[in-house]
Amino acid sequence: MMDCKNIREILDLYVDGELSPEANVQAEAHLAECVACRTTVARLNRLRQAVRTAVGQYQPTSRLMDRVRQTTISWRRRPTTWVPVAAVVMLIAVMALFAPQIRSAAANELEVAAFHLDDSRATVMEGKLLCRDCQLKDEYGYHAMCPLTGHHGTLQTTNGKIWNILDGEVSEELIHNSKLLGRTVRIHGRCFRRASSIEVDSYEVL
Amino acid sequence: MFLGWTNRARHFERDALPHLPALYRMARQLVGVEAADDLVQETFLRAWKYFETFDSATNCRAWLFRILRNVWISRWRKSRLELPLTETGEEQIEPYYDWEDEFLHDEMSAEVERALSELPADYRLTILLADVEELTYQEIARVMECPVGTVMSRVNRGRKMLARLIRTYGEGRGSKPEEFVRRKT
Repeated sequence: MMDCKNIREILDLYVDGELSPEANVQAEAHLAECVACRTTVARLNRLRQAVRTAVGQYQPTSRLMDRVRQTTISWRRRPTTWVPVAAVVMLIAVMALFAPQIRSAAANELEVAAFHLDDSRATVMEGKLLCRDCQLKDEYGYHAMCPLTGHHGTLQTTNGKIWNILDGEVSEELIHNSKLLGRTVRIHGRCFRRASSIEVDSYEVL
Repeated sequence: MFLGWTNRARHFERDALPHLPALYRMARQLVGVEAADDLVQETFLRAWKYFETFDSATNCRAWLFRILRNVWISRWRKSRLELPLTETGEEQIEPYYDWEDEFLHDEMSAEVERALSELPADYRLTILLADVEELTYQEIARVMECPVGTVMSRVNRGRKMLARLIRTYGEGRGSKPEEFVRRKT
């Protein structure tokens, strides 16, 4: 038979359901007869409930749930189309050898294929938005067409690497809104490492 | 366990994704609201990457918490200054005395949360895994990568610290007992 001292040493195990069935029966027998120990168990259970209530009030946003789904089970579904796409691109490439007039179109398709076949992975990338053409002008004297065509946003990460932002519905602002140039952004998406490109799922301007 | 792409996604959706709210709750208590989303997302990215190694006969939630803890340690905790946790008397259990008086009242989530935030991080994590997530001590030991005896001791001492802090707030003193002075991580 347990006494007060015994039971107060194993109260955590009791309330957490960690006692053996035999010990649990003994604990129950003592608690049935001891008001003080019953009160202590009640306090302990109230504390546990208070912790549950305090912590349990927070729920993730649907945005977070979408982000997690996009970067896990959803994003790799696209590769199921890789095989036919790659096959078509290869066919175009072969045709291009014999038909110079479609060589340019084939080159574009091959570029698309390169992105698909790259070792892409989900990523969160942070950096500063810069104009791609202005960068090329500064570094290589490229004749930038920004005054006519507008700036073209690109991402420079803290290690100095420049990432091309792939065109898409979500990335449109990042690429074409010149007011964002110079701002720091955090991009969630897929990174095509060898192609130095990033596909944007979502972003935040910091 | 090798799974084809479709099966893997289906299993992940069925076994792992439903635990997102639980991981978010924990993340908020570890890194605060600003970084909780990032911690959860990185946890799931890593879980997805290593999902082949998950043993479906075990508790997926516990597996995810273990990953979350590892991500938290590698990305957040080590960048903060925290005094090393002294494990003196780690295996000792202190009996529950003087718990007959009432120190909890309704609508005190703010005090409880404040008290939780002042617990040493490993105690906080252990208490949350036991009281909120209701993992067994064995599962908590696997998440925390420590012996079950250490889990028992942390549950015991953590609850006593919590109660003492809440009592202190109730007395309106607000100062922290010396042994609890640590930075939130």
